[in-house]
Amino acid sequence: MTMPGIEVVFYTGAIGLIVIGMAGVLMVKNVFRMLLALVLLEAGASLLLILSGFRETGVAPILLSGHAAGQLMNDPVPQALVLTAIVIGVGIQALALALILRIKHRYHSLDMGEIREQMEHDIAVNSGVVSPASAQSPEPGGHHHG
Amino acid sequence: MSVLDEVFILCALGALVLFVFHRIRGIEKLAVVFYAALLYLLIKMSGLGYGGEVIYSSFSLNILGETLQWRFDAVSWFFAIITVASGLFSAVFMSGKWGESYREKTSNAAYGTLQIALLLNVNSMLILLASGDLLSLFIGWELVSWASFMMMALNPDKQARQAAIKYIVYAMAGAMAFLAAMAYVYGITGSLQYAELAQASAALSNGQIILLSLLFFTGFAIKMGLIPFHLWQAVAYAETPAPGAVFLGAISARMGLYAIIVVLIQLIGLGHLQQIHIPFTFWNLQTVLAWVGALTTIIPTYIALKQNDARHLLAWHGVGQGGYMLLGLMTLNSLGSAGGLLHVFNYATYQAALFMTIGAVIYRTGTANFDKLGGLVTQMPLTFMVMVFSIIGLAGLPPMNGFVSKWMVYRSLLLDGEPLLFVAAVIGTLGTILSVYKLVHNTFLGQLRVEHQNVREAPLSLLIPMLVLAAIMFVTGMMPGLVLDWVASAQLAMGLVPVTYNLGGIVLASGGLDMIWITLILFYGLGVGAIIFYLLGGRAKRVHQYDNYAGGHFLTSRVRYHYSHNFYAGLMHLIGGWYRGSFKKLEQAIVSLVSLLSQLSENMYRSAQPAMMVIIVVVLSLWSISGGIN
Amino acid sequence: MDNLILVVILPLLAAFLMPAMARTSEVLARVTGLMVLFISIIIITSVWGSVDEQAVSYAIGGFRPPMGIVFYIDQLSLLFALLIPVMILLFWPWNKVTHIREYSLMMLLTASASGLVLSGDLFNIYVFYELLAVASYGLVVAQGRAGKKGEGAALAASLRYLILGAVGSVMMLIGIAIIYTQAGTLNLAHLALLAPEKLNNMAGLSAFALILIGVGVKAELFPVNTWVPEVYGAVSTRLSALMAGLLSKLAVIVIIRVLVLLFPQPEALQLMTILGMLGVISGELVAWRSRDMIRMLSFSSIGQLGLVFVAFSIPGDMGLMAGFAVALHHLLVKPALFMLASGWTGPLESLKGAAKQSPYIAALFVLLVMSLLGVPPLPGFWAKLLIVVNLASQAAPVYQFALAFVLIATVIEAAYLYRVVMILYHPNQGQQASVREKHKAFELVIASGAAVILIAVALQVQSMETKLSSMARQTGDRQHYINTVFSKLDLADIYHQNKVQQTDFRSNNQLQGSK
Repeated sequence: MTMPGIEVVFYTGAIGLIVIGMAGVLMVKNVFRMLLALVLLEAGASLLLILSGFRETGVAPILLSGHAAGQLMNDPVPQALVLTAIVIGVGIQALALALILRIKHRYHSLDMGEIREQMEHDIAVNSGVVSPASAQSPEPGGHHHG
Repeated sequence: MSVLDEVFILCALGALVLFVFHRIRGIEKLAVVFYAALLYLLIKMSGLGYGGEVIYSSFSLNILGETLQWRFDAVSWFFAIITVASGLFSAVFMSGKWGESYREKTSNAAYGTLQIALLLNVNSMLILLASGDLLSLFIGWELVSWASFMMMALNPDKQARQAAIKYIVYAMAGAMAFLAAMAYVYGITGSLQYAELAQASAALSNGQIILLSLLFFTGFAIKMGLIPFHLWQAVAYAETPAPGAVFLGAISARMGLYAIIVVLIQLIGLGHLQQIHIPFTFWNLQTVLAWVGALTTIIPTYIALKQNDARHLLAWHGVGQGGYMLLGLMTLNSLGSAGGLLHVFNYATYQAALFMTIGAVIYRTGTANFDKLGGLVTQMPLTFMVMVFSIIGLAGLPPMNGFVSKWMVYRSLLLDGEPLLFVAAVIGTLGTILSVYKLVHNTFLGQLRVEHQNVREAPLSLLIPMLVLAAIMFVTGMMPGLVLDWVASAQLAMGLVPVTYNLGGIVLASGGLDMIWITLILFYGLGVGAIIFYLLGGRAKRVHQYDNYAGGHFLTSRVRYHYSHNFYAGLMHLIGGWYRGSFKKLEQAIVSLVSLLSQLSENMYRSAQPAMMVIIVVVLSLWSISGGIN
Repeated sequence: MDNLILVVILPLLAAFLMPAMARTSEVLARVTGLMVLFISIIIITSVWGSVDEQAVSYAIGGFRPPMGIVFYIDQLSLLFALLIPVMILLFWPWNKVTHIREYSLMMLLTASASGLVLSGDLFNIYVFYELLAVASYGLVVAQGRAGKKGEGAALAASLRYLILGAVGSVMMLIGIAIIYTQAGTLNLAHLALLAPEKLNNMAGLSAFALILIGVGVKAELFPVNTWVPEVYGAVSTRLSALMAGLLSKLAVIVIIRVLVLLFPQPEALQLMTILGMLGVISGELVAWRSRDMIRMLSFSSIGQLGLVFVAFSIPGDMGLMAGFAVALHHLLVKPALFMLASGWTGPLESLKGAAKQSPYIAALFVLLVMSLLGVPPLPGFWAKLLIVVNLASQAAPVYQFALAFVLIATVIEAAYLYRVVMILYHPNQGQQASVREKHKAFELVIASGAAVILIAVALQVQSMETKLSSMARQTGDRQHYINTVFSKLDLADIYHQNKVQQTDFRSNNQLQGSK
């Protein structure tokens, strides 16, 4: 079967979104932008899933009395799936946003590198491997060694 | 129920009782009774030592489609009797005064733990020796490693603890090599039974045999401390509490030899090894193994020469003596292999005795450091005598038993036309003689230190096992036929031609050995000397040990003239350059490599972008799936 | 069998009802959670053993597959359906300070995990997997309560975990999209039927790679496991134990189901071998240089999961059996070790002489560690033996490499674990001996329980072997799965439909052409 022209455009778009999203997640340092890249990535994946059930000449998969039963329809299953995926994705994004807010409040930074360093230091202090005083950047919260 | 079942039940009972009551005083008497009972059961099986039938245990286990079983044949029995006897001697040694002082220094619980460790060592070795297939051999193998580790870890000293860790890492590496070999056997034959491997080994390709032998041998060689895996053993054994050192030193490392006998000789077949040439060389596998044995006689012995602590010196020797056993076995002929096996027995007797004498010295003086000892001969004459007997054996001089076994190895090397191996063995012996002289000189001869003036002879509980061992050394030295009975049965079980012998020694067309005659001549010579001496008047004057002078000056005990520090300075001037510590450097290099890799891996886990790895690996795997690799 | 669906529905309901109930009565809400768990356990034990011979499928809402959604119940899914509520119950936060939100998340975790193992539909698996992920993110975040020590670490760790997990989910979704494009269905049984024809190609393989890596995030698969040390270091040992013990195994089960049913290609297995062996070696290497117990255990867990992947990547039922053995062993041992570690925080050197202070705990630790290392005759040994023996009998060179890696990793593992044992049994007390935290009672109970089970299994190793091999045989039997889900009538229908669909499609094209 040959691929009709419009599908090529859609597929290119979906894969393009995925690539942009991936590149964003990889290269961006700001956690908020990283989240935005993630949104793009998810959008791309959803689009890809939708496309797997797409027929160029298909109609909406709704059986109405007026339509002929044998007409070519778009596959409804991927659409249902994508709906679910989008809902889940939005939920996770909301959770991530809340987390980012609290981290910003706690670490005063949105830079992934800085966040990671402070986190590693916190973990090391928690496990007693380093003393709290040995931080490269003094901690805003000021923990006491237990 | 067979006798072997009784042995296992007794072992289990003993372990249980000891675990429960290990804090109670008097447990040491119970332990001695236990080992004696175990020895009695082994003697009940002594038919094995004289060509009897294999004894099976009625206990077996079915797993992975394999039947695990345990049995005793002549080889296992030979090793088992040495094991249990060593256990008994150690238990007697630690039952009396030594145990009391150990309790005082540590605690009742610590003493009980030492007893448990000894018992677990003996038990696990018996399980190993009784194994009837590769899987049960491996299980026994790991149990032995674990038990030895427990014994070594008992000394709170930092060096000892490091040695124990080093041991367990080496032992694990060896066990993993063994496991890999076992897995390959399973892959090839679909079974782990001895019989299947023996059958399949004839059909294996050369590459497979070389790989299998290499893996098996690595596993076993680590236990035995053969070159290049000799670094762990000496310190680990030496730093163990005295009875532990006695036991470990006497027999523990020989489990490696037992496994070599079972797997390489019985199953793969030495004859088979002989035919396999190592690619690009003119060697076959047998020669390689023989040379490993020869180098092991040399290198650790000369390391022993440099030691400044009696225990370490002895332990390094123990490593070296393993080389003679391997060398003897690898000659493949009846005389050499008998020599190798006999050496296991002989070595156990004198190594145990030597560790006991050092244990006694430490018990009395608190040190085994050569710089702090000397002149104890007047204070501890019986201990001295035992040590002299033992070092005569260790150095391989008549009339002690060590001479017989070494003679057999030398003789078979010469008969086989292996002059280079012979020379290597002789160089090893030379090192042994030099270092045992250092041992006896620095501890018992020379100037007595002031602080040791009130040292007395070792207590009876320490002396009795030592003296019995010395007697055994002498008797089996004069009448090696007593032990050669067992050796010959073991050889038969290994599938070799048994050696021809009589009570006095070896019967050989090209000149045998009769120790009874040699001993008689020796005593005859001594007697003649004594007669001449007494006929000439027998003038002897008894002087005090401090009654010394040099260069016209009287020397008091304040002046240190005992030459013990930096012993053999002249010799070291000549050969010191040869000590390069290459193996140590190799070991360090491996540790550094692991450390580097570990650091690299940690850096990878600390990637800055969390999703980095996902995307990298997705891209890579998609690339490789789409044929990118090809 | 029909009420098995309750083990998903009840916790799900409870998860959403509990916060509401807590407004009127906090006690009631908590009791509800516990009740639900007990009911789940009772339901599962009531059907225990009924699927030993023949697995059962259950079509939800009465719609016949492949249209309807099915639950597939065999020994594997039943075992995990039981393990989930049991483990959740064991690691239930038994105290008054825990916010009701956390209990609610635990219930969500139970529901999604049960759904994950029971579901017979790829998209349902995706949904449950996402729910599970949300619940686990939530639980990690809940550790970072305001004002608590290490709050920031927990938050940052969970954000990093979330991003990694979300990217992984997207990968999984793309993989599912590819499968759907290829086969046009997401019912596992239907896919299994079509797989040899439709998925045995490059596209199928890349779908597997994507799913493997996506789900691998939870399964601590190398190299998408960078979250492991961060999260385990930041959260309480109770949660680490649950995540390392249970959640990772659930993800592994998903991968195994998909692998067995859909992807017969040897390349799929080999990809898993490579990632698994890299996980083993890298995990053990880093654990070797770790300076505190929790971090050591986290990396050891990575290594063990690598071992699980290596085991499952061995083709055939023996591989599955080895995988189950090592996975279940890890599920038993690692949580227990985490429980012991919670009382032994701080640098390893500070644990000197801990054995003198608490000899029983130290002895437990030694037993668990020995089993982890594979010292015979403990169960860990048999698990490792299965892996090694089966790796060696594979012809493909990648398995020989894997064998070498596994063995070398074991030596490294021995080096650091015995070092800890030596520190515990050090004759001198460390400096911090007096300020050391005490182990809590429930931690000791769990660890002791694990030790008792270990010994029991060691004694009953033969019957254990038959059980595992029967489970492996059932899991590895694709035809069994298909025949269980579809009746003969269904199968005939499907064959018919496939033909019809294909002809339809062709006739459509012709129609278009003629137009």
